[in-house]
Amino acid sequence: MAVKPSAAIDAARLRRRLFALFLDWLTWGYVAYAVMYFLQEYWWSRTLYGFYNPLTLPGWGWPAAVLGTLAMAALCELTGYSLGERALKLERREERPLSREELLTGKAAGKPFWRTQWGVMSILLLALTVALGWHVVKISPEALLNPSERAREMLGEIFPPDFRYFFTPDPAFELRGFPYSILNLMVVTVFMALLATVLGAAVALPLSFFGARNIMGVSPAGWFVYGIVRGFFNVFRSIETMLWAVVFAIWIRWGSPLAGIMALTVHTIAALGKLYSEQVEGIDPGPVEAVVAAGGSRLEVIRYAVLPQVVPSFWAFTLYRWDINVRMSTVIALVGGGGIGDMLFYYKNEGEWALLGAVMATIVAVVWAMDYLSGRLRERIV
Amino acid sequence: MAEPYLVVEHLTKVYERGHVVALKDVSFEVRKGEFLVIIGLSGSGKSTLLRCINRLIEPTKGRIFIDGVEITKLSPRQMRKFRRRIGMIFQHFNLIKRATVMTNVLTGRLGYNPTWKTLLGIFPRSDRELALRNLERVGLLEKAYVRADELSGGQQQRVGIARALMQEPELLLADEPVSALDPATSHSVMQYIEQMNQEDGVTVLASLHFLSLARRYGTRIIALKDGELVFDGAPEEIDDRKFKEIYGEEAEEVEIR
Ligand SMILES: Nc1ncnc2c1ncn2[C@@H]1O[C@H](COP(=O)(O)OP(=O)(O)OP(=O)(O)O)[C@@H](O)[C@H]1O
Ligand SMILES: [Mg+2]
Repeated sequence: MAVKPSAAIDAARLRRRLFALFLDWLTWGYVAYAVMYFLQEYWWSRTLYGFYNPLTLPGWGWPAAVLGTLAMAALCELTGYSLGERALKLERREERPLSREELLTGKAAGKPFWRTQWGVMSILLLALTVALGWHVVKISPEALLNPSERAREMLGEIFPPDFRYFFTPDPAFELRGFPYSILNLMVVTVFMALLATVLGAAVALPLSFFGARNIMGVSPAGWFVYGIVRGFFNVFRSIETMLWAVVFAIWIRWGSPLAGIMALTVHTIAALGKLYSEQVEGIDPGPVEAVVAAGGSRLEVIRYAVLPQVVPSFWAFTLYRWDINVRMSTVIALVGGGGIGDMLFYYKNEGEWALLGAVMATIVAVVWAMDYLSGRLRERIV
Repeated sequence: MAEPYLVVEHLTKVYERGHVVALKDVSFEVRKGEFLVIIGLSGSGKSTLLRCINRLIEPTKGRIFIDGVEITKLSPRQMRKFRRRIGMIFQHFNLIKRATVMTNVLTGRLGYNPTWKTLLGIFPRSDRELALRNLERVGLLEKAYVRADELSGGQQQRVGIARALMQEPELLLADEPVSALDPATSHSVMQYIEQMNQEDGVTVLASLHFLSLARRYGTRIIALKDGELVFDGAPEEIDDRKFKEIYGEEAEEVEIR
């Protein structure tokens, strides 16, 4: 067996250390930026509108900042186990025999993380980020404590909710010429979620095998298909359901439940497809080997060696997706996807707070019931 | 029988990942009906050699003939068909854990049935009868409809043997069939393999970790060391010196009874 020459290892190690230094440098750059931000806002009292361009520095400031942060990063590298090294898992091995005392007291295990250099650094970074975020977004907690006049009115009227239109349709509320009661529309909404989940899972199931490395990685053509399918999953998944609803609402018709179903289905295919393929990639390869050795074809491998291993987790993921779809379907009407949300936003706009309360209570009850149901089913399966 | 049944010529396998040369120019021949045992340290290339013979792993160089057919030249399709004649059993049994013993045994028939039928789970009655007969043979008839993961290790390996029997193979590849089992169970499993060899005339290639097992069951032994063939001969020929050559200076022989 060939042993790697140590020169190559040293070179690789040097590259990684340089990269770690670069990461530390970026970190210190961030710290320096945050310090400048606070300096300008508090001590020099400049009102800052953006977070990227308003920092004004004297001419010598930039080189000073660059060199200063670089010096800090180098210092970190040299004195302890820096954040960059930790992130790259570069070990700093000290080859020395441990004393019995160290082993007994547990000192051999190393310092707790908040006393190591990288630990201090990451806590500092976290605190700095929260503080910076607070100021960039310009949060004012007083607004939370002094609600507006309208909110007081709403809170006053929403209890008790008015269930007048639970069974009987509200004559004032009409969708495409039909009157709807809360119950009617809730049933429509639940079916939207159900259809989207079933359709999405049915498409994602076969697709997921094309997106699994261990099934497709046998030929260049296989890799090509794998790349396409994985790309499809990733791109379509990163476009949120709400955005898909906008697309389909324009394509089909504003407020049509079909638009909502399509939006939910497309996102379900991509999301479940990715989860399914990852499960397929994580199977025990043993049974695959056995089926191939017995002369089984690719389809037989999937049927006999892969499916039995992934079915339980496929069910669990599908039920989990069902939960998400139920919740999504209640608000998708906001962007023209149809469903109970239409009623929700109608009452909100009309200021009918008591009726709105009834719709919200129904949604909460249904979502909770569905969550409970799928939770119980999941327990059964896993 | 002048014609050897299995011929391995200058077989070399290089794993691209990690640049490991797992087999270096290995050549040997096996006659029909032999029980050939492959020994060698962990990492010496035993599993790789066995998997090259049914091309679960593609050899980098060299040729392999089985019964006069150059299997290293077969197309994937032809190879799939040829695999029906080669049974295989594995160190970790490789059963479908969540399926019944019956389903597991029937997968041995996949090569004989059209894919569209097997996808629907349809196997001819004759196959099911054969499955029951083979389960009976390994003493697991009453476990036919138990889930495979509810069986003990020894029982699982017997299911593996029944699955291999379903192929009605001429050649059996056994990759450390007993190293996950205790000594007593090891012998019972080895005896089923021996029975296949002696009663059904199946040529057996088995890798084993214990020299005592190799001596007891093998009619011939080959040894690998760092991917090279370092011994090929009768079990009795392995003396202390040979043993140290194969397993290294510090090795001690362990008995397993
Ligand atoms: N898929 C693989 N990719 C890269 N290297 C591999 C792969 N499989 C095996 N190897 C390497 O090839 C060499 C031979 O491995 P092999 O599994 O054939 O040995 P073995 O004799 O069966 O060992 P063991 O007794 O531990 O099963 C080892 O050095 C191993 O690390
Ligand atoms: Mg092995």
